[in-house]
Amino acid sequence: MPDFLARLSLTVGQAGLLILLVVIALLFIGTLILSGYALVMRSINQRREQRLAALSERWLEPVLAAVSDPSRVPEVQKLVDEGDAIRFLDFIIEYARRVRGAEKRVLRDLARPFLPHVLDRMEARGTEMRAWAIQVLGTLGLPQYEKQVVAALDDPSALVAMIAARALAREETPQYAPAVLARLERFGEWNRMFLASMLAAMGPEVSAELRAGYADESIAPGTRAVMAEALLRQGDFLAGDIAARVVRSDQHIDLLASSFRLLAAIGRPEHVDAVRPHCRSDDPVVRSQALRAMGPLGDPGDVPVLLEAMDDESPWPALYAARGVRDAGGRQTLESMVAEGDQRASLARQVLREVGGE
Amino acid sequence: MSDLVWSAIGVFNWVVLTYFVLLNGVYLATSLFAFGALRRYALRLRSLDLTDLITSAGAPPISLIAPAYNEEVTCVESVRSLLSIEYPDYEVLVVNDGSSDDTVARLTEAFQLEPASRIPTASLPTAEVKQVLRSRTQPSLWLIDKDNGGKADALNAGLNFCYTPVFCAMDADSILEPQALIRIVRPFLEDDSTVAAGGILRIANGCTVERGRVTEVRLPENLLAQFQVLEYLRVFLAGRMGWAALDATLIISGAFGIFRRSAVVRAGGYATDTVGEDMELIVRLHRVGMETGTPHRIHFVPDPVAWTECPESVRVLARQRDRWQRGLLQTLTKHRKMLLNPKYGRVGMLAFPYFFFLEMLGPVIELLGYVSFTITIVSGRADWYLVSAFLAVAVALGGVLSLSAVALEELSFRRYPRISDLLRLFGLAALENLGYRQANTWWRVQGTLSALRGKQSWGKMTRKGFDTQPETGD
Repeated sequence: MPDFLARLSLTVGQAGLLILLVVIALLFIGTLILSGYALVMRSINQRREQRLAALSERWLEPVLAAVSDPSRVPEVQKLVDEGDAIRFLDFIIEYARRVRGAEKRVLRDLARPFLPHVLDRMEARGTEMRAWAIQVLGTLGLPQYEKQVVAALDDPSALVAMIAARALAREETPQYAPAVLARLERFGEWNRMFLASMLAAMGPEVSAELRAGYADESIAPGTRAVMAEALLRQGDFLAGDIAARVVRSDQHIDLLASSFRLLAAIGRPEHVDAVRPHCRSDDPVVRSQALRAMGPLGDPGDVPVLLEAMDDESPWPALYAARGVRDAGGRQTLESMVAEGDQRASLARQVLREVGGE
Repeated sequence: MSDLVWSAIGVFNWVVLTYFVLLNGVYLATSLFAFGALRRYALRLRSLDLTDLITSAGAPPISLIAPAYNEEVTCVESVRSLLSIEYPDYEVLVVNDGSSDDTVARLTEAFQLEPASRIPTASLPTAEVKQVLRSRTQPSLWLIDKDNGGKADALNAGLNFCYTPVFCAMDADSILEPQALIRIVRPFLEDDSTVAAGGILRIANGCTVERGRVTEVRLPENLLAQFQVLEYLRVFLAGRMGWAALDATLIISGAFGIFRRSAVVRAGGYATDTVGEDMELIVRLHRVGMETGTPHRIHFVPDPVAWTECPESVRVLARQRDRWQRGLLQTLTKHRKMLLNPKYGRVGMLAFPYFFFLEMLGPVIELLGYVSFTITIVSGRADWYLVSAFLAVAVALGGVLSLSAVALEELSFRRYPRISDLLRLFGLAALENLGYRQANTWWRVQGTLSALRGKQSWGKMTRKGFDTQPETGD
């Protein structure tokens, strides 16, 4: 028996039992703490929800009245106690996200005296707290707090930087476009289509910068692909020549695919020569997107190539080729396939039915 | 008995103790990670306007693939719920897996389905597809009618007809909350290397369902279903959230998860040689990603909810747990190369060993532990009060872990608004360790034996349907 147990006049069994009893006692205390925690959380949250509901009821009508009559802004601000400043900001941000123009300006005026409460949260260690602060300042605090929001584009957290970028990338604030575009490569992890939508939301005033970036070979191909997708969303006809140049000279699959999508939407017949060689590419993604562009850009002379591609081993190029046949003037050929029960009849039938229906 | 046998029992008792300490240690650790992760997640939601994110036209189109096998009772309600989801661009592919009941007829009648053309975009092997139907009234609803081949086969058939970059795999009898897709798709926007994301399953028994939506959340009356509510809270909020915080998610429930279509097709689709096709796919996505050096992230998102009906009878529940255990065993033995293999990162060194040693072998160790402890006490070789105290620790620890899941629920989502339901959850946390846990262990041991015997069937799952309010026509 170990000495310390002998000194305590305990056997090994008794010592084991003692330990287990202590553990049981601790677990019992843990049980009480967790149950108490759950009950306290329930009570706190219920009270918080009731308080928020009461405050919302108190603020809603005056805020709506101020939106239609901006002279009432000071009157509404007096309704907000100092301690409820953050709650008030949370309340109006829900509306501010969904309105534009004069209404948004009123909401910004309403928020102005309370925004200093947010500033110290920008220094918080927690990413989420900083993200919230930037969300508030970006929605309600521009242009007064533009310095802070633009600086947040360089925040160590990609989430905070993205929230700043989304706040700045608005059609009504094209002046921030250069700052956002300059940091685009920071957002390489984000979904490409999502980034393209964000850029496109900045409106036609930034199209020239997007075109310049898209054409710039010193920029990463993935970033240029995002710019191509943004130009596609903007329907920017001037980007067609750049897209044709890109598909002639570049090899990056994502960049090629985006460029073909762009050409399919806004390309002109003279761009078709740049597309044709890619219809037999070894890469199925490139092949599909090239065939996709051939439809609107090609002419009846391209139908044989497209018909051949309808037999592609990969289903996507075959589908785009069939659509291409339809769009390039080969509708009758597809109808014949259906009538004759050709092995491609199902595919032909599907794309024929898509017209106007999908 | 010889001394050798007694020595073996003594050694085994230590194995059981080690298993007990490790298992509960992992549970406690994941609960702690989950506390931090859920808190951060709640703050993150405050800083992101999800609707704005999604409606900015950057959200990927999604296909909901819902395999249906003999779902005539719930299929119309479930499809209605799927069609009322808030998401800008999605379609619903119901895959009838050779049902022998009126599933197809019910759907055809309710949604005016008619034959349509839709060529496959992938060629995963499946049982024969007999016809493809499309709704005249809801153009985004398609029915793929095929011969029976099992759930994995049905999902593969859906995948073959999937045209969107992301698909959602689910059960046709589950009810997705209207914002479920908006919430679950977020990782795909934030991280382009995301290949899969799982949501949370909650028990619909006892809740009120109106027009395909859960309108009132309550605990079920059935005790077995109540235990499962608590169990799901523990598994999802404490377990999966904790593993996700460690970036080592190894399972996404087959009833609700979204996937990058190209990644799943490249990995070969769902495996049809296992009844645990959901877990097997996640393990394989990790494995393929690691072996090919392809960036791949698998996430768990705690607030998109799919409501599901759980078994209320012992027989059906036993079959379900038997199947889950077989699926686990089949998956882990198939990919045993990953076990403690540093090449597979945290998955190989943390999550896989946890599931292998503690979840797969655990029930057998636990059951044999009950036997060896009993023998030890009866033979007078251990102080009964010492063993009793140990069992008391086990029960109390189980209670603490379940209570921590209830506390996590209160911290985060608070889906059970009645205080009486909260108090009942407290009671269940104590009660489940006195019978339910042991029964579960027994069913899982049976599952292990079934797997060793090579059993492959799913077993019949009887559904009674949701507690649906009649439509008033307003």
